[in-house]
Amino acid sequence: MNPAPDDPNLRIAALTAEIDDVKRREAAFRAKMVNEFLDRGERNSYLHVLREELAGLLRRQQEAFADMELFTRMLEAEGQEKAALEVELEGIRRSWLWRLCAPLRASGSSPRAGSPVPPGGSPVKGGVFTYYLHTSPFRIYREPTFTLRGWAWPQDGRAVSAIRVDLDGRLFVGRHGLEEPEVIERHGPQPANPRPGFEVTFETPPGRHLLSLEAQLEPSEWRSIMKTSIWCVPPGA
Amino acid sequence: MAFDHEDLDLVRAPRRMSADDAHERWRNSTGTLGDRSAYKRVWDRQARDFDVASLAVAGHTDEPTMDLTARGFIDTLRATVGLDRNDVVLEIGCGIGRVGKLLGGECLQWFGADISGGMLGHAAARLQGLPNTRLVELSTVGLQEFPEDAFDLVYCTIVFMHLYEWDRYRYVEEAFRVLRPGGRGYFDNYPLDSEHGWNVFTEGARYPIDRRPAHISMASTREELGIYLSKAGFEAVRVVDLPNQLIAATGRKPGQGARRRP
Repeated sequence: MNPAPDDPNLRIAALTAEIDDVKRREAAFRAKMVNEFLDRGERNSYLHVLREELAGLLRRQQEAFADMELFTRMLEAEGQEKAALEVELEGIRRSWLWRLCAPLRASGSSPRAGSPVPPGGSPVKGGVFTYYLHTSPFRIYREPTFTLRGWAWPQDGRAVSAIRVDLDGRLFVGRHGLEEPEVIERHGPQPANPRPGFEVTFETPPGRHLLSLEAQLEPSEWRSIMKTSIWCVPPGA
Repeated sequence: MAFDHEDLDLVRAPRRMSADDAHERWRNSTGTLGDRSAYKRVWDRQARDFDVASLAVAGHTDEPTMDLTARGFIDTLRATVGLDRNDVVLEIGCGIGRVGKLLGGECLQWFGADISGGMLGHAAARLQGLPNTRLVELSTVGLQEFPEDAFDLVYCTIVFMHLYEWDRYRYVEEAFRVLRPGGRGYFDNYPLDSEHGWNVFTEGARYPIDRRPAHISMASTREELGIYLSKAGFEAVRVVDLPNQLIAATGRKPGQGARRRP
């Protein structure tokens, strides 16, 4: 600010000019703000709203997949408890007291048989992987086949040399080494697995199955990325 | 989508045509009343040729007349809401940039918003060489593309007659949002109670019911415009008669920084 001149009119003029300058700078700041707002690109626009909605839907989809995974785990726990109770029941049936009371139960109905528990899962050991499945396996399978797509790498830094699905002992070999640029951008370079994407198609005959998604790690060791029970129903059911 | 002047290569070269041809093409491009809410489609269709676009938004096709009416409107702004060289200004429904071409030279920065990208294409050609102007295509009714508390002056001229009442109010509400505290708003339309406004009304009434064009002019009442501004939160709301048989509703956004109307 310049020293105030003695003439009051000059002082008023100087102050007025200064106020105008402040107003101009403030307005220029707002104009710049609007331009930057527009430059950032369609913020608040209809397109932006649609993008927000899409992101929200993707989040919701992932939440739904997580819910489904939890549901599957709970169901598995229930199945194991049921199996344990059946073992216990079988023990009771073999007891002398059960046999002693047989005439009293002659008119009663026998307990209904539950759905058969699938045979034991894959013998392959589990591994520690960073992974994501684009097509969630936690679902009711209604088609004759299903393609599992995703990306994965082992946290020990080894390279993945093959991908397969073990479904009740049947093996389905998939494709691996698919590009996942957004994943690499987000997680950083993966020297042993620069293309961590994969896809594997497997048959889904009606019934309950144990699914194991497996990766072959160098030199030739198979490790399970994840295991789960799946339920397949006939098409249209 | 924001246009910069680099987008000029997208603009078709104006093709001159006779006044009769322009009127005929305009009539064929206007759609029916059922399309009225589809503003983007209705006005993009009228923007295909420069002469048709000019006729649709300004009522004439020659540049000197356009400049003359624009100058008249700037004088109206000056008389009603005031105009300052430091103003950051937004025009709602700027069309082919009739006003912006001249007003750009009299304010700090002029932003022209329109729902029709086709109209903005013509505006970009007319505003070439004016660095403090910027054109923005609106995605839908409203000013979603703009931040709040940004403008000194938001105005909307010769637009409300083409909008449904709900959309008129939507723009008033949005203008209030994007104005800085103390900022001024201006909105005009034909008044129903004037001779001209009544003529507009009766001309519209003469259309066969199934052939009313989508852009057909609909007048406002003074009460309607005043209520819009009051309900939106403006203070010092006034509805004034203009020399060109329009009425204008003006108001100020409350808050710090309010300054007296000149």
